[in-house]
Amino acid sequence: MSLASLNAIVPMACVTAAAIAAMTAEAFRVPGERMPIGPLGVIGLIGAAIASVALWNHHASSFGVVVADNFGLFVTGILVVIGLLSLALSAPTIEREGLPQGEYYAMLLFAVAGMMLMATATDLIVIFLALELLSLAVYVLTGIRRDSPAATEAAFKYFLLGAFSSAFFLYGIAFTYGLTGSTRLDRVGSLIAAQAMAPTPMQLLAVGLLFVGFAFKVSAVPFHMWTPDAYEGAPPPVTGFMSTGVKAAAFAAFVRVFLAAFEPLRADWWAIAWIVAAATMIVGTVVGVVQDNVKRMLAYSSIAHGGYVLLAIVSASDVGKGAVLFYLLSYAVANVGAFGVIGLLETAERPNDRLRDFAGLWNQHPVLAALMTIFLLSLGGFPPSAGFIAKWYVFSAAVKSGYYWLAIIGVLSSVVSVFFYLRIVVMMYMEDSERPVQLPAVPPIAAAALIVSAILVFYLGVLPAPVLEWAAASISTIF
Amino acid sequence: MQFPILTFLIVLPIAGAILLLFVRDGERNAPLIRNVALVVSVLVFGETLLLWSRFNPGSGDFQFVERHAWIPSFGISYFVGVDGISLLLLVLTGFLTPLALLSSWESVHKKMKAFCVFILLLESAMMGVFVSLDLFLFYVFWDAMLIPMYFLIGIWGYDRRVYAAVKFILYTMTGSVLMLVAILGLAYLHNTATGRYSFDLLAMYDLQVPPAAQMWFFLAFALAFAIKVPIFPFHTWLPDAHVEAPTAGSVILAGVLLKMGTYGLVRFAFPLFPTAAALFAPYLAALAVVSIIYGALVAMVQPDMKKLVAYSSVSHLGFVVLGIAAMNTQGVQGAVYQMLNHGVSTGGLFLIVGMLSDRRHTRLIAEYGGLKKVVPHLVAAFMIVTLSSIGLPGLNGFVGEFLILLGAFRWNPRVAALAATGVVLSATYMLWMFQRVNYGPVTNEKNAVLRDLQPREWAVLIPIVAIAVLMGVLPNLFLRPIEPSVERMLDQVHRHGVRAQLGSSAGIRPNPKPRIPNPERSE
Repeated sequence: MSLASLNAIVPMACVTAAAIAAMTAEAFRVPGERMPIGPLGVIGLIGAAIASVALWNHHASSFGVVVADNFGLFVTGILVVIGLLSLALSAPTIEREGLPQGEYYAMLLFAVAGMMLMATATDLIVIFLALELLSLAVYVLTGIRRDSPAATEAAFKYFLLGAFSSAFFLYGIAFTYGLTGSTRLDRVGSLIAAQAMAPTPMQLLAVGLLFVGFAFKVSAVPFHMWTPDAYEGAPPPVTGFMSTGVKAAAFAAFVRVFLAAFEPLRADWWAIAWIVAAATMIVGTVVGVVQDNVKRMLAYSSIAHGGYVLLAIVSASDVGKGAVLFYLLSYAVANVGAFGVIGLLETAERPNDRLRDFAGLWNQHPVLAALMTIFLLSLGGFPPSAGFIAKWYVFSAAVKSGYYWLAIIGVLSSVVSVFFYLRIVVMMYMEDSERPVQLPAVPPIAAAALIVSAILVFYLGVLPAPVLEWAAASISTIF
Repeated sequence: MQFPILTFLIVLPIAGAILLLFVRDGERNAPLIRNVALVVSVLVFGETLLLWSRFNPGSGDFQFVERHAWIPSFGISYFVGVDGISLLLLVLTGFLTPLALLSSWESVHKKMKAFCVFILLLESAMMGVFVSLDLFLFYVFWDAMLIPMYFLIGIWGYDRRVYAAVKFILYTMTGSVLMLVAILGLAYLHNTATGRYSFDLLAMYDLQVPPAAQMWFFLAFALAFAIKVPIFPFHTWLPDAHVEAPTAGSVILAGVLLKMGTYGLVRFAFPLFPTAAALFAPYLAALAVVSIIYGALVAMVQPDMKKLVAYSSVSHLGFVVLGIAAMNTQGVQGAVYQMLNHGVSTGGLFLIVGMLSDRRHTRLIAEYGGLKKVVPHLVAAFMIVTLSSIGLPGLNGFVGEFLILLGAFRWNPRVAALAATGVVLSATYMLWMFQRVNYGPVTNEKNAVLRDLQPREWAVLIPIVAIAVLMGVLPNLFLRPIEPSVERMLDQVHRHGVRAQLGSSAGIRPNPKPRIPNPERSE
């Protein structure tokens, strides 16, 4: 075994090294001492980014179970962006809440490493390992405010349902192994293709169980129940991180498993996926309308966004796969930003996450209000923002594959979602606050992260061609 | 390389808006902010006039075309150009924006900077809508325009402004997202036919869309535009938005935004889907006639001047849609002309109502009376604008309505007869309103001390009145550039419409209406 065969795991190795370094640093930290642990994570993530760029187009493979193809590397890139933004936005929350700095960063980085592994794994068992790695880290992050009952409840709920869904997933792997004698996606794919003429109940069971497992992780309806509670209870930067990172990783694996290995059985699963996608979009937006808590509202919005990605997966064309990647990126940038703003509004006394708390934000802090508006309009899919191009890409995939009705459900539900995004905008710009909230000062690092997100939102919305081409190029290498 | 005048038209207001972002907001800087915005918008107007002077009125083709690849993998390009139909709408946009800014000089008290920024962004998006020749680009501007308008209504509007703003944006979006699906469907059809994606409008004109698909696509496009126009029964957002918007918002909303709906019908819905258009034109005309009469009747009973003007818009735009549905030279020319007229005269009416409500802080007709003696100059301008809105010969409104009715008559005399009642009704509600506001004794002592026109208001009203007279006396000046483009568009619709019908075993029109042949087209 040569060293070159380790190439494919270099990005996640960088992040893991940073995570271990963060843990070690925390262990040697005198209580009360300030240590630059965050920058360690930044170094690790930048290392991962450099490694990804170097590996681009090389199709490196390690141990036959991790493949750094362009698809995986694109998702790794998205995860680096999410990780960097989240690190920057977490700093003020850690400071204010007195959270254990080293543990927080270590967990965040372990989660990123797990996500990267999940995006590049080509073996069901490795996918499962990656899923557990990222899930455990995210459970801890959700409940990291140990003195908050809401956070503990959220973490516990998330953990129970997550463990439950992992069991489904594992069971699906077991069935797949029983059918094909392998857990490697390429072998599973070729064997399924050989048997695909008349799918057996066993095959359908395997597909179904894996589908349920993934559906839990991407919070697709009807497996979305944990999402609002977990997203509300976690600290906002963590919510921003997990609502985008976990989705990106899980959808990457979803695409690999369902559009490569189980592609021959598409005739059997597409109808289910169609219904789940439609239900996810509808439930996410309609229930989002009645929320009074901004975090819950954005939790439902993120459920709906999962539905749009599913729509692209159902379309199952090259356009659809490219759309998945572009959508995940543009959603990530806007959603991390939106939760970042929510995090900055929190004070030690109160979370300020009710809709009413946003009243008159424009008068108190015009820049934060403007940034929040940019993120919300991007989530709502208004041009010239990233969200518009992403939605357009997803819907064109659906139309190309002839799923006009799904596209129509999608566009109409996005109108409904605009309604609740605008509720926040209405509060910020058109209502006066009855009781001015004392806003904490915005730390420069968080402000920089938000401004970078906003620039990315506009960049992807106005000049999307280069990134669209990367997305298209990255799917052409594997499928 | 030719100077990219159209791009400049889009970029200049944005540049002005960005410039304003660097000015510190506050009472002290308000005059500076206003002046910068005004200068930028006047420059844009000057540029539209320059465009008009350089425009070759003899040609019906798109001029000043610029094309750059934008998203090449999907055949999306930044493709802009202007023909006679869009040229004057650009001039109208450029004309009304400075007036809207001037009108808000004293009525906008809070957040002057943001107000000017939104007006300029809105202007840029409106310009973009009228010059886009790429469906994707068109959609981008079409949707992007909603955001500044939403903020203008929602922040600076009257009491129920939030409700009106949200209703405005949701109504418009519902229509436009379905249009987005249709646009994607068209691009996909282009892909199946030629092997590559394209959103290029000119390529789409040549695309043979199967009749069944035409039906759906036409309905999706027509719905988006019908909501925007708005045609009965999709008009319910309009009274709310118009009434709650600040004066500047109402002027732009009525003057330009509504035209986007009718412009869309002329530019996209009819030429892209001629077979479906021929099938649905009678229904569209029926809705247009309903809008004309219904809008007029509802306008008649409004106690609120602004609401009255808003409903009169429904009625007047019904004429425009009728002219388009007739699809002959007079009808469409009249429709395009009437779009300009309506922008000038309804814009003027909103400006005048705004001036009155700035003075008295009410828009109820019953609160006024006898203004003629108190503010004679204002009332004189009011009179001219009212008459122009009614369509008095010698003023602008007459030419457009006459041409539309002529076109409609050639198409279907009964429809024309019904529509003509709208002319009578409009005289009724406008004159009755005018009479109650301006004649008789001064019933309310508050009205006795109103100021007459200020220099700034003179500057707003003189251009409106001058244009109304000019368009009434010299219609050919404006009709000349419109005509070749209208002819080209009609040729497009009829040629393709006929070909598509022949190609599909003639079974798609169950009840073909006899069309009067167009003598102009035989040349």
